[in-house]
This record gives sequence, structure tokens and C-alpha cells, in this order.
Amino acid sequence: MKMKKSLLWIVVLLLSIAMVAVFSLAGCKAKAAAEEEAAAEEEAVEEEAVKEEVEEVAEEEFTILYVSGIADPFMYMLGKGAKAKAEELGVNFLEAEYAKSWGPEAQIPILEAATAAGGIDLIIVVPTSTEALIAPLKKLYDQGIAIITADCFLGDGDYSVESNYSFPLAYVGTDNKLGGLQIADHMAEMLGEEGEVFIQNTNPDTSSVVARGEGFTEGIAKYPNMTLVGEEWCLDVQQTAQDQTATILQKYPDLAGVFGVNLFSAQGAYQAVVNAGLTGVVKIASWDATPDLINALKEGKVDLVLAQKPYEVGQLSVEAGYNYLANGIEPDKRIIPGFEFFTAENVDDPDMQQWIYQ
Amino acid sequence: MDTNKNSILSLSQSLLSILARNWALLFVLVLILIFSFTGINFFSYKNFQNIFHLSTIYLLLASSETFVIITGGIDLSVGFVMGLSSVLSATIMRELHAANFTPALSISIGSIVGLIVCIIPGLINGVLITKYRVPPFISTLGMGGIASGITLVMCEGFPVTFLPPYLTGIGNGYLIYILPGKAISFFNRPEGIAVEELRNLIRIIPNSLMFNFIIIFILWHILKNTKFGQHTYAIGGSMDAAVRAGINTNKHLIIIYTLSSFLAGLAGVFNVFQTGIGNFTPFTAMYELIAIAAVIIGGASLMGGKGRIFGSIIGVILLRIIENGLHLSGVDPFFRFIAVGLILIVAVVIDQLFPDLL
Amino acid sequence: MADITITTRKNGLQKFFSQLGNRWAIIFLFLEIILFSIISPGFFSVKGAQVILINSPFILFLSLAETFVIISGGIDLSVGFVMGFSSVVSAKLIVAFVGLGMNDLLSIIVGIVITLCIGIIPGLVNGILVARLKVPPFIATFSMIGITHGISELLIKGSYIRNLPPIAGRIGNGSLINIVPGKTVSFFISPTIQRGDQLIEILPTVFVIPFIFILFFAFILKSTKFGQHTYAIGGNVDAAIRAGINVKTHLIKIYMLSSFFSTVAGIMYVFRYVTGKADAGAMFLLDGIIAVVIGGASLYGGIGSVWKTLIGCFIILVMENGLRMLGVPTFYKLIVIGIILIFAVLIDQLSPELIHREE
Repeated sequence: MKMKKSLLWIVVLLLSIAMVAVFSLAGCKAKAAAEEEAAAEEEAVEEEAVKEEVEEVAEEEFTILYVSGIADPFMYMLGKGAKAKAEELGVNFLEAEYAKSWGPEAQIPILEAATAAGGIDLIIVVPTSTEALIAPLKKLYDQGIAIITADCFLGDGDYSVESNYSFPLAYVGTDNKLGGLQIADHMAEMLGEEGEVFIQNTNPDTSSVVARGEGFTEGIAKYPNMTLVGEEWCLDVQQTAQDQTATILQKYPDLAGVFGVNLFSAQGAYQAVVNAGLTGVVKIASWDATPDLINALKEGKVDLVLAQKPYEVGQLSVEAGYNYLANGIEPDKRIIPGFEFFTAENVDDPDMQQWIYQ
Repeated sequence: MDTNKNSILSLSQSLLSILARNWALLFVLVLILIFSFTGINFFSYKNFQNIFHLSTIYLLLASSETFVIITGGIDLSVGFVMGLSSVLSATIMRELHAANFTPALSISIGSIVGLIVCIIPGLINGVLITKYRVPPFISTLGMGGIASGITLVMCEGFPVTFLPPYLTGIGNGYLIYILPGKAISFFNRPEGIAVEELRNLIRIIPNSLMFNFIIIFILWHILKNTKFGQHTYAIGGSMDAAVRAGINTNKHLIIIYTLSSFLAGLAGVFNVFQTGIGNFTPFTAMYELIAIAAVIIGGASLMGGKGRIFGSIIGVILLRIIENGLHLSGVDPFFRFIAVGLILIVAVVIDQLFPDLL
Repeated sequence: MADITITTRKNGLQKFFSQLGNRWAIIFLFLEIILFSIISPGFFSVKGAQVILINSPFILFLSLAETFVIISGGIDLSVGFVMGFSSVVSAKLIVAFVGLGMNDLLSIIVGIVITLCIGIIPGLVNGILVARLKVPPFIATFSMIGITHGISELLIKGSYIRNLPPIAGRIGNGSLINIVPGKTVSFFISPTIQRGDQLIEILPTVFVIPFIFILFFAFILKSTKFGQHTYAIGGNVDAAIRAGINVKTHLIKIYMLSSFFSTVAGIMYVFRYVTGKADAGAMFLLDGIIAVVIGGASLYGGIGSVWKTLIGCFIILVMENGLRMLGVPTFYKLIVIGIILIFAVLIDQLSPELIHREE
């Protein structure tokens, strides 16, 4: 018994050390990052002070915070674009943690933790709920912080009409419905305007993907010889997308096309088609030009990839925000960069490469 | 005359007991019957093969849980260990492939390393549970969390792609390919088939089915016919009795949990073959819950001492057929969630009505 | 397992360690707080505490639910999705009533009342399955996940939940005491402030509500017959039956109670996030169970307490928010929680006699 107990104590001690190590490692990382930023800021402030003396123009340094929706390539690209523009304009850029799940219960705590320390002038946020984010963002707005929503919007997205969600400066993002419509047109073209198609969607709670599905449905309705046989929801679990698509293939053996509305749906869908040995027979359209999907396009597993422009969205957001903060210029309430389509034909074009999310 | 009556009675009793013992099997047969009428393309060799093919992961996980549950324990880490092995083996395969190793070598090394590493969580579980008397629920939950955390750190939330070729060919390959009237081949698709003719290709016996069969046969044999199997039941029946009978329960349990973890690792590696990517296990996937439910449907009790591999297989098949059959019968996706829950309850309640006829 | 324990006189050191082991959870919590206060600026402040407390209602309610169920020897896997279900139902009801022209506040109250009535139904079903039909709690509550999830998604399908009255959000994000320095002090509801004003908030409403429930139900568990019966059933079902306890009815009540707490959690969600979501509670199920276990309950039943669970909740909350404030990605949380969990049980092993004698 005695031996067991002391052994136990050793294990407990080791675990405690392990935990302290993890905490301090995390703390050190954060501290180091903070110190780096503080040092950079100091330098910048010094430079500014010198500039001031020389130019007698008071230049403020702004701080922009980016709060993403979730950890995925699209959001990373958005952050990248925003950061580049911020550096170009000499603005302080902070990135909040990338949540592992999509939803206000994940995002709002992150938002609150990131703004707790204060000192922020503008927040670029991808709201993960059209309703839930209104109150917390309004609270921050009331404290004097400007808000820009990227990729997703609050309420119905119309900030030009006075309402309880019209306080953001602008909405910068893709027109999801239009994208769905155009994908439908491309699909029709690939299929000779006839055949059965199917939507592999993810979560009926997320406005962006629902809008893509709606756009696609409307688009397909224009072609009398094409039928939409169904829409399934995989809740962002790729295995489920694969199972659902596989069953649809079973149910409709003559299925001609599938539209996967986001990364997980598209990957699950094309896997199911590969499993069924029907690559090339069933055409797959997908959304978001991640390196994986572009690779799949090259390998022939996917036939169409819509590239949003997250980098532009990030850049445009920072630009609009900066113009407002520095010069008081109010931006357009809706800023919509377009999108590009990748097909097997243009996938290796050098000028298309810039639209891949990497 | 009496003896005739007696024999009829005993015949019907034994018939009844066979039925009761295999009520889940009966249920499956009834469902197959019903769905054949209500479901489009349900009753076809393609569909049945597909069901098995896509259930491979669940079959492996359920088998691993069978051993654990018979001993009266539980293993909540299997889903996450599966994710760990999936990401780990895929990452190794990718790196080796990028370093110009031959596909055969990259795939083999990746798989083997993935499998070996996954023995570790099981070992730790076993030791914690036996030597330190941590309740299995807690230990495996904790290990699952740790495995999940490590997986996410490794892959940063993204699927692992750019894997060597031939992977999905093996994972989704079939034994026999027949293009009616034209070609027949083994292991690989016949050369030179036109894309339009792919729909007519008949494929028989997926590789996964053979893989499943071999593994499950080995496990079944171990459980039923070896001393190891008998000891497993003994420990589950009564730990004290087992100890008094001279069984080294600690060593046995450690092996059991290591086996469980190994099978989860196998499932993960197989997943890479089947999907062509390495993917972490999202929390919402609930793989272990499904596996455990399947085992209990198969006749095991959470108290231990009961359970059969065959029963667990039927449990998995039952759950998958419900999903597949309802889908093909045109039931709305979310009604299916409800239906699976209801049918599961009905199934278990029926089990309670035929107690201990074993 | 009746071991013959030879009691020896403990020397001072052994006694110290025993006491330590007994109180390890609280000590751990204090150490955690101290650690984060040192590493993370802004952690040890009114604002820092606010952030932790305002994120607490879900884990508090779900762990309260699990405390009762686990002490009774069972488990409830459906709490997360019953919470989501109730958030969807209550949100939809409130929107419907407002649409019918009812006053905002009244719609909210009526919506809540109806939701509470509907929300105990999953618990009723769970209880009947477990108590009368002898379905293992694991399976019964697991099936309930699918059922409540499916119903929630069906209710949402095609239309999200929008246009909830803003006052719900103000209650959900408000605090017991709100101070605008130099101007006003108000209670419960966030005041409307001018742009640029500072606002000091103390004790979020969404923490106060679960806390009141905790006080009340801690009392019930410890000092009423209901509580004693719960422990009895968890300890030894047969003995409980022989003692004349109506085990079946009691268990049904326990599962209904669990469902009730999950339903209230869902309503808290609507207040805080002004919307309903089918999988609102999915990520809190595990936290709830872990909090109960860290708090010293045994999964076989018969042991546990509301206060200990509360400590378990805060251990998780402090860690999660602490890591978040440091900007550490959430997956580290999993590793740490995994370690803490195993830690918790190991410590339990170090002073088993005292912990068991405590109850």
C-alpha cells in the first residue's frame, strides 16, 4: 500500500507539473506575442513622435480587431488580407482566436475576451448568428468602437434602413444567393441542361449556406429538363455528407450532378461519388477554393469550384474602416466583391492561382 | 402422446429462445422486408454492399467496444483515437510522398506507424483503470480528450490531403468488376471503359467487406473459442470470482483496452483508405455512442458478462439499415433523427420483454 | 468488498495530506485562479470575473441536472439537446406571440411558462423508460438525443429564428448591478448609455438565476427526504426498495428534474443570445458530466453533492476563460481537461476513506 501511495503521489506531481507547463507555455507564448506587439508599438510610437515633430500633423494609431467565424481556410484568408492591408496602412492588427465550432456560444465569449482589455477602434467580425451578435456588438459600438461585418451579416443585412442592427459601418461579403444561381447555370452547362441534381448542404441554421442552396434551387428551376431531387443536411460532418450522398446515389442511379455548399459537404459528396466509382459521370460543383478542392479538381474528382474572395473581403474591410476612422468617410453599406470559377480548363492558369485560399 | 406434446413444447420453447436471443436479427429482417417495399432501390445488391462498405468504421468500433463492455467497462475514447490515427497516418503518408518515397512505402509506413501509436492510449487507459482504479468512464473520456487535443494540434483543424495515389483505389476497390457483355476483371476496373458506361459497371464484393470479414472473424474466434475470450466473460461476470479462479485480471484488462484502442486505430487508418484524406473526429459525430448502442442492442449489458461479436455486428447493421431504409423511403432528414431514436428505444424495450431466455 | 482496515494513528503529516486530499478541489481552484491572475493581465478584475460568470449558466444548469441523475445511479446524455430543443421552442413561441400582437414582456413570460411545461416531457419519457421499462439510462437518454435534435431541426427548418424582442437580450446580457460612473445605478436590465460612457457591471443576471436554483436544490439534495432517497437509490437499489422507497416514481421525478434544468438552460440561451439553436447545448454536455465527476461524485451512484459540483464547474470555467483570455486555442482545453479529470480521480484514490466518510 505504501509503495502504491508514493507512486501515486509521483504521478500526481508529474501531472501538476505538466499542467503548469502547459499553462505557462501558453502564457509565455501570449506574453511574447504581446511583448513583441508592445515593442513594435513603441517603435511605431517613437517613429510617429519623430514624424509629428517634423510634420506637425497629429497621426493617431488605430487598432483593428478581427473576429473570425470559425477555423477554416476561408477565415484564414480573410485574416491574411486584412492583416496585409493593415500593415500597408500602418494600422495595428489583432486577431481573435479562431473558434472550433460555429455559433454564438463559441464566438461571443471569444469576442468578449478579446475586447476585455480595451484599446480597440474597429472590429471586423464574421457574425455566426444574425440575431445573437446584435446585442454584444451594439454594446461595443456604444463604447465607441466601429463595427464592420464580413462574410455574414446581422439581421437581414440591410444597414441602410434604421433598425436595431443598422449600427455597423458596412457589410463586406459575397452574395451567396447569386453564387448559388451562377453555379446552377454552370452545372446546367456541364450537363447539357438536363438531368437530376442534388444539393449537399450543411446546416439549416447558417444563413450563408442556406442562401447558396436557395440560389441553386432557383437557378435549376429555370431549366425545364433538370430536376432537383433533394437537399440533405450533413451538419458539417464530412462522414455524414458522404453517407447521405451515397444513399442519394442509390436512390437516384441516374443522378447527374451534386452541389456541395461548403468544404465538408463537397468533400463528403465527392468521396461518395468516388466510392460509387462514378467519378466523371456525376459532376460535382463545390464552394470555396481550398487547396484540397483545387487538387480534387485537378484529379478530376470535382468539376467546378467557386472561389470567393476572402482576401479581398479582408482588404476591403480594413480599407473601409481606415477611411472612416482617419478621414471620417462613410463607406457604402454593402461592399460585394465578386467570385471566380475554377474548372478543369483554367485550373492551371497562372492568373487564376491568386484566388486559391493559401 | 405426452411425449409428443412435450417435444412440441420444448421445440417451440427452443425456437422462442432462439428468436429472443436474436431478436435484433429478427428486427433487421423485418425492416429489410418493409423497406424493400417502401424504399426506392433498397433491395439491391448494390445497396447492401454499400451499407456494409460504409459501415466498416462502425463495425470496427463496435467490435472494440464489445470486448470492453463484456468486461464491465466502457471505452469513450475510440472515436477520438480513430481521428488521431487517421490524421497521424495521413500526415506521415503525405510527408513521405512529398519526400519522393514510393506510394507503396509511404502508405505502408504511414499505416503501420498510425496503428502502433494508437496502442498507447489503450495502454494508458488499461494501466489507469487497473493499477490506479480510475473508473473506465473517466479514464477513457480523459484519454479521448487528450487524443482529440493532440489530433487538432497536429492538423490545426484541417483535413490532411495530398496523399499518395492508389489509396482510394484500395479502399474502395472491389474483387470482381463486370461490364455486362464486354469485360470482366479482378481487383481493378477494366481498362478503357467509356465514362458513360460507368453506370453499367457491376461490382461485386468490396475490398472492405473482405477486410471486415477477416478482422471480425478473428475477433469472433478469440472471443468464443479461446481462453482469452473465456477470461473476458469471467471478469465481466464477477471480478472476484475471476481473481479467485487465478486469472491475472490486471494484465487481461490492460490487453482489452489496448485491443480496443488498436481497433480504433485500425478504423482510423481504414478511414484514410476509404476517404483519401486524414480527418479529425468532430465532437458532434458521437461515434463511440453509436458503437456502444450497437453493442447493447446486440445483447450486451453495461454491467458486463454478456455480449457477442455477432450481436454487435447486427446492432451496427440495424442502426445503418434504419438510416438507409428511411432515407430511401423518402423520409425527411430530420425525421430520420427522430426515427432512429424511436426505433432504438422500441428495440431495447422489446429486448426487456424477453428477459433471460438465454 | 469488505476489507479489514487497520486504523493506525495518523501522524501530523498524514493528517495534513488527508485534509488536503479532501479539500483538493477547492485548493486546485484557488491555485488555478492565482496562476491565471499572474499570467494574464486583466484576469483578476471585476471585468474578468464578469466574463467568467456570464458564460456560466449553461454548465451550471447542466451539471446541476447531471448531479441528481448521477447520484441516483444513472446518467442523462440528452441534456445538451433538450437545452437546444427548449431554446428553439421558447424562441419560436415568443416570436409567435409577439407576432400576434402581444406585449413583449408578456410574450416572453408566457413563452417561458409553456416551454417549461413542454420541456419536462423528454425527462418524463426518459424516466418511464429507465424506471418502468428497464431500459439502461445510457440507451434511453442517447435515443432522446436523436429525438429532440430531430424535432428541433424540424421546427427551425426553412426559417431561422428572428425578431425576438430586444428586451430579452437586455435581460440576458444585463447584470444585477449596473453602474455608470457618475451617472446612474440600475438593477437587472442594462441601461441605455450614451456612446463613450463607461459601464461597470457586477454579477450577470444569467449567473444569478442559476445560482438561486443551486442554493435551493443544494438544500433539497442535502436536507430533504427527496435528497436522501436519491442517495439511497444510487447507493443500493434493493436496499432502497426494502426501505419502502418508491424507486420507480422517484427515478421518473429525477429525470424530469434533469430535463427541467436543461430546459431552463435553453431559456438562458435565448436570453443571452437572442436566438434559438438546435445544437445549442451540444458542447456543454461533456462539461456538465465532467464537473460532476471532478466534484467527487461516483458514476456508480450514491455519492456527490451540489456544492462539490459547483466547484467542479468553476474549475472548468476558470480554466476555459483563462486560456481564452490568453489567446490559447481551444483545443488545448481538451488536453488540459483530460489531464484534470484523471488527476481528479487519482487524488480521490489518495484519501479514499475520508471522502467516503464525508457523505
